[in-house]
Amino acid sequence: MTILIYILQALMIIVGAPLLGGIVGKAKARLQRRQGASIWRPFQDIGKLFRKEDMVPPLASPVFRAAPRAVFCATAAAALLIPVLRPAALLGGSGDIILFVALLALARFFLVLGAMDGGGAFGGMGGSREVLVSALAEAPFLLGLTAISILAHSTQLAGIAEWTLRQNFFDVSAVRLLAFSTLAMVAIAETGRLPVDNPSTHLELTMIHEAMVLEHSGPSLAFLEWASSIKLGLILSLLVGLILPWGMATDSSLAAMALALAAYLAKMLTLAVVLAVVESSIAKMRMYAVPDFLGIAAATGVLAVVFTVFGGR
Amino acid sequence: MAGLLQISFLACLVALLGVVPTAWLAGRSKRLAWLPPVILGAGLLLGVLVAAGHLGSAAPLKIDFSNFAPFAFRLEIDRLSAVFLFLICAVALPVVLYSQSYLPRHYNPVQVQWIWGLSSLFLLSMVLVVVAATAFSFLMGWELMTLLSAALIVVDGTSERRLHNLFIYLVMMHAGAAAVAAAFFAFLPVSHSLDFASLRAAGLLLTPAARTSIFLLAFLGFGMKAGIIPLHLWLPRAHPIAPTPVSALMSGLMLKTAVYALVRFSFDFLGGGPAWAGYLVLFTGAVSGVLGVLYAIGEHDLKILLAYHSIENIGIIYLGLGASLIFQANHAPGWAMVALVAALFHTLNHAIFKSLLFLGAGAISDAAHTLDIDELGGLLRRLPVTGVAFLIGCVSIVGLPLFNGFVSELLTFESFIAGSTVTALSARIILPLMAGVLALIGGLAAACFAKVFGVVFLGRARSSAAEAALEAPPGMLGGMSLLALACIVLGIFPSLVLTPLIAVAGTLIPAASLPSQVMGLQNILVTTAAAVLVLTLLAMLVKTRRRAAAPWACGLPGLTTRMQYTSAAFSKPIRWVFSAVYQPERSLSVLPNDRTYYPTSISYRSVRTTSYERLIYRPMTNAVVALATQLRRFQTGNIQVYLLYIFLTLVTLLVVLGLRK
Repeated sequence: MTILIYILQALMIIVGAPLLGGIVGKAKARLQRRQGASIWRPFQDIGKLFRKEDMVPPLASPVFRAAPRAVFCATAAAALLIPVLRPAALLGGSGDIILFVALLALARFFLVLGAMDGGGAFGGMGGSREVLVSALAEAPFLLGLTAISILAHSTQLAGIAEWTLRQNFFDVSAVRLLAFSTLAMVAIAETGRLPVDNPSTHLELTMIHEAMVLEHSGPSLAFLEWASSIKLGLILSLLVGLILPWGMATDSSLAAMALALAAYLAKMLTLAVVLAVVESSIAKMRMYAVPDFLGIAAATGVLAVVFTVFGGR
Repeated sequence: MAGLLQISFLACLVALLGVVPTAWLAGRSKRLAWLPPVILGAGLLLGVLVAAGHLGSAAPLKIDFSNFAPFAFRLEIDRLSAVFLFLICAVALPVVLYSQSYLPRHYNPVQVQWIWGLSSLFLLSMVLVVVAATAFSFLMGWELMTLLSAALIVVDGTSERRLHNLFIYLVMMHAGAAAVAAAFFAFLPVSHSLDFASLRAAGLLLTPAARTSIFLLAFLGFGMKAGIIPLHLWLPRAHPIAPTPVSALMSGLMLKTAVYALVRFSFDFLGGGPAWAGYLVLFTGAVSGVLGVLYAIGEHDLKILLAYHSIENIGIIYLGLGASLIFQANHAPGWAMVALVAALFHTLNHAIFKSLLFLGAGAISDAAHTLDIDELGGLLRRLPVTGVAFLIGCVSIVGLPLFNGFVSELLTFESFIAGSTVTALSARIILPLMAGVLALIGGLAAACFAKVFGVVFLGRARSSAAEAALEAPPGMLGGMSLLALACIVLGIFPSLVLTPLIAVAGTLIPAASLPSQVMGLQNILVTTAAAVLVLTLLAMLVKTRRRAAAPWACGLPGLTTRMQYTSAAFSKPIRWVFSAVYQPERSLSVLPNDRTYYPTSISYRSVRTTSYERLIYRPMTNAVVALATQLRRFQTGNIQVYLLYIFLTLVTLLVVLGLRK
């Protein structure tokens, strides 16, 4: 029974992730006083792409078609580690905070390789920018996770969620605030949202993720788009699960699970709307301002870790 | 059992030594050319069996050659030695398999036999270093290791530039060896002999000042060999110019003897140390790790790039060793054990994947006749097996999950995070912050290897040589595939290695019990691997039709292969962000001067002289030369004056002796 719940919660992220993009898109459209596309549109897009044919550059290697699938698999595997409805997950154990970060890094590595295999100029351009952003985001990401894992005395995502759940919500801690802001900044950089990358641009000067997937089409592109929305869902769920897990079910009763599901959906919806507001109100920063942005994230991450020593909260 | 192991080990040594006469014979008769690799392989196989058979037993295996040598010459295999013996022999085996088909393609038969003879002696010297039980046998192995690797570099060619690099290598190695010898001799006041058992006993009697100086000397001497920054100057010069299999041995194995020796000194002889020693190792590791990978990103010669990555990985190993020393000084033996296991595991992992990558670089230069990655491209279609093996090496060295590099980095991360559990304030702050440093190293390494694999193997060929590249012969592919297989197996089933390593760490760190969190590591990895496998199978179920279509060129014709991102272009953003580290000297000249907008020629040059050379080494060599110039005044060339010197020395010595009585 519990295993079923863990599988369901992972499937919820994997299958439901495109909805998140749809909601963000809809909210942005409403903020701009447009009607906007349906929130189910990402599903239709992915479905349409799966039915189309794969266009492959004549000189590309098998990596070109393998990479999107590898990206999808690594990202989806990371979803199995995340606590969603209960402070527990299908896979994982001590040390899986690092495994989680590394699985996302694995996905990104293949994403860049797939981009480089296109043989055009755009793939390398996007890949080169992506590795810069991710190389700089890696340190704050782990520092933020380190800080909260020190607080919780656990290096397991589920263990941290379980510990946080036992804390008083109103007992605001400096470490958690700092770690949250670090992880939020990293989340923006990792998922390629504004102001680091504009997910709806196709301008050579600015695009990062879009430049990498430019050569891909059909099912390959579907896998990439799906993986990218899973990643957004994953990182938002990570924020929710580690910093704001209140509402998670402590037992497997049906009522508790229903409450946990409602709480999770409400929290994700709130984050999606916040994301839409942020993306509508600020402009993309210059590529070379991104290191400063991530430098601030790293600085708050360092502070979070240092503050764990003083007072331990 | 012990007797059998002893005989097998003797047979292993004899086989390694025996390659030399057979290589000589094979040089005279073509029909015997198969003999040296077979004997070398058999010797290494015996070494692997001895090491594996001995890992389980606590009693050391001893062999005494003192009767045949002017000094005490004893060998002893304890658990730590067995691990490194295993590492050397097991990683050298695939390299031998690779070499037997690589060498005849590149060298004439005489050179081939020279390389066989010298490299088997080179391996023997490394074996000697890790099994030595007296200072004499250790130093002999240490010195031979330097000289034999230098000889192997000379076999490959003697151009001016190579000899210059070789000279730097030899000078720095000997400076290091002098420090190592001094570290041994510093034990003498409290130890009656220099065999390892009495050094171990003497370690407890040393005064704090003596302990400090011994540790610093050992740190300096072994750090020189390990190539830590700023003592790394020789490494990117010497490794790339050796024959490819020897580069693999030097980077994969020779550097590891320095790790062995540092562990032997700091954990075994000195029994841990004060916390500052740990911080010294930790910060050196952090600096070497970050700068090593940044320098690697700036390179476009594949072998030099890989050499810089060796510095980075030594940095990661040092991070683990430093953390272990800090934990031990803070009375947290359990985590000291984890950090030491992490460092030793990374040592083994780096030996595997760095050898693999160097062998891959050899296969690339074999196929495309260049190591300049900006001239390559699209090689995966031409060299599928090499490409896949190289990809596995890249993914492993970056530390991505399901491959071996990840496991050791994960253990290092875990021990950093556990730094918050000790009592000392400095450790509680610094160790967890090092998790950020390790993450930065990992992120930059991912950038670098995405560049390497992407530019070399993917996209379209940038030169006609790359377009016409042919796959390597089966022997070379076999060697690389074995190493690649090891990367995957150890990445998913790390307990194979973790269990013996935990036993080793237990002998070095007394009273340690392993934290319970670490034991479940293999379960996590196996389940994750299974999940990824299932997901992959599901993803492959999706049916696709495919059609060839030219890449997007903004709707214009004429997309050339030169329009792809090169390694320089790919790494530009990172080099821009970290420009303070590189400090390149740039010069742009536009001719003619008066017509800058309509130039007839533009030349651009950018040289990265390392600031170490400018700031540390140049003043040092200048001082030595100045001193030598002064000393030359004593050398008049007149024999009477020399006789006077001898006479004066004699008188002084007699006076000193007389006064002491």
